[in-house]
Amino acid sequence: MTWTCELTEARLSDYLDGLLSPDERHAFDMHVNACEHCVPLVAGVSHLLTDLRSMEQIEPPPQLGTLILNQTIGPRETKKGWRAAFGWLNALASARFAYSAVSLVATVLILLTASGFSFRKAKLADLSPVNIYRTADRQAHRVYARSTKFVSDLRVVYEIQSRLNKDNELPTTPETTMPQSAPGKAPGSTDGTRPATPKQQNRANDIGRELELLATQVPMLGGALSGQLLGRRTP
Amino acid sequence: MLAPGNYGVKLVTVAGFEADDTLEQDAQLVQQCLQGDGSAWEELVRRHTRRIFNICYRFTGNGTEAEDLSQDVFLRVYKTLGSYRSAHGGFATWMTSVTRNLLIDHYRRTKRDRITDSLEDAMPVVENKESVGRRPDQQLLLGELSHQVQTALTKLSPELREAVILRDLQQLEYNEIRQVLDVPEGTVKSRINRGRIELARILQQMGVRPS
Repeated sequence: MTWTCELTEARLSDYLDGLLSPDERHAFDMHVNACEHCVPLVAGVSHLLTDLRSMEQIEPPPQLGTLILNQTIGPRETKKGWRAAFGWLNALASARFAYSAVSLVATVLILLTASGFSFRKAKLADLSPVNIYRTADRQAHRVYARSTKFVSDLRVVYEIQSRLNKDNELPTTPETTMPQSAPGKAPGSTDGTRPATPKQQNRANDIGRELELLATQVPMLGGALSGQLLGRRTP
Repeated sequence: MLAPGNYGVKLVTVAGFEADDTLEQDAQLVQQCLQGDGSAWEELVRRHTRRIFNICYRFTGNGTEAEDLSQDVFLRVYKTLGSYRSAHGGFATWMTSVTRNLLIDHYRRTKRDRITDSLEDAMPVVENKESVGRRPDQQLLLGELSHQVQTALTKLSPELREAVILRDLQQLEYNEIRQVLDVPEGTVKSRINRGRIELARILQQMGVRPS
């Protein structure tokens, strides 16, 4: 590759920045080593680069930042007295803070209500952690007992209904279960034409016994069922 | 004679100012500024004051002018912050471009004053050459050398001066300088090369480097 003084000058920065290809770099070196005109040029620029890159950054005047801020966003006022003491309250006057505060208050109210705190008869002692815990524990147990009782009652009613449905011949509605006490009818007769057969009477007695048994097992239903049973057993 | 390939230059890997985290932080601060956050603007000023002041000082060679120009740069950036688009480049590049435009405007505005000043400054340059001949050891002190280089820089044409400042003093990459100057990369390389050669010649004429 033929290298010239013009090429040396034109590609000098590429050479110093390491951007020449190996062939170009070799040709550059060969030319500069043999050229009296190019040696001072290359040496001068390479020394200059060393000097430039060793130059340190200059610290700007300390007041420059303040001057720039004064010119752009204006002089920043320095609050004094009570304004300085309560200046941080300005940050609270925002929609985000108001929303957070409302959410917090609502959460506290819900928790207090759930723990059994009475707002009508509020006492300072009710707010102590021990009392809050005890009240909440009592409330939780009460809710659990009520739900257990409710489920148990439902089960009893379901069992009664299912046992009544077992007998296909007997109607399940209250109107039809009640015996018709018309004059001239024989006991056990439904149409008034013929007296009840012994088989039908025995089945009715079986159901009555089962309901009586249930009434003894469930005291709550005892009163209601016993009345019905008595009415059915005394035709 | 110098050995082939050894001309005393350290091939420094320059990083420029467009690191990813810097870009992201600047973009976030700009967004906060546009939403009226004064503290974000303060942070931007704090992050870029030193760099902008150095560019202005290296270009003008005068501390007072550099201070005034730095304020003008930030004032213009503050007023035109809404026109900055992060998709077109980093905030630092955009800010450097604003700085460069203001420096060129300032150069053109004060051209007449400088012609008068250059006639008055002719004698001190000659005196410098003589003083260097008498006391070369003192003239090669680092601080004095920086002063000489700074003096030589102000004698460069503005287009070569800005290219050398951005590349060799601010250590920007070629593509960053291309964005700042808004010229093709080939032109950037040509200007840097011519600027370096011209600067070396000026320093030789000033007697800073014996030929």
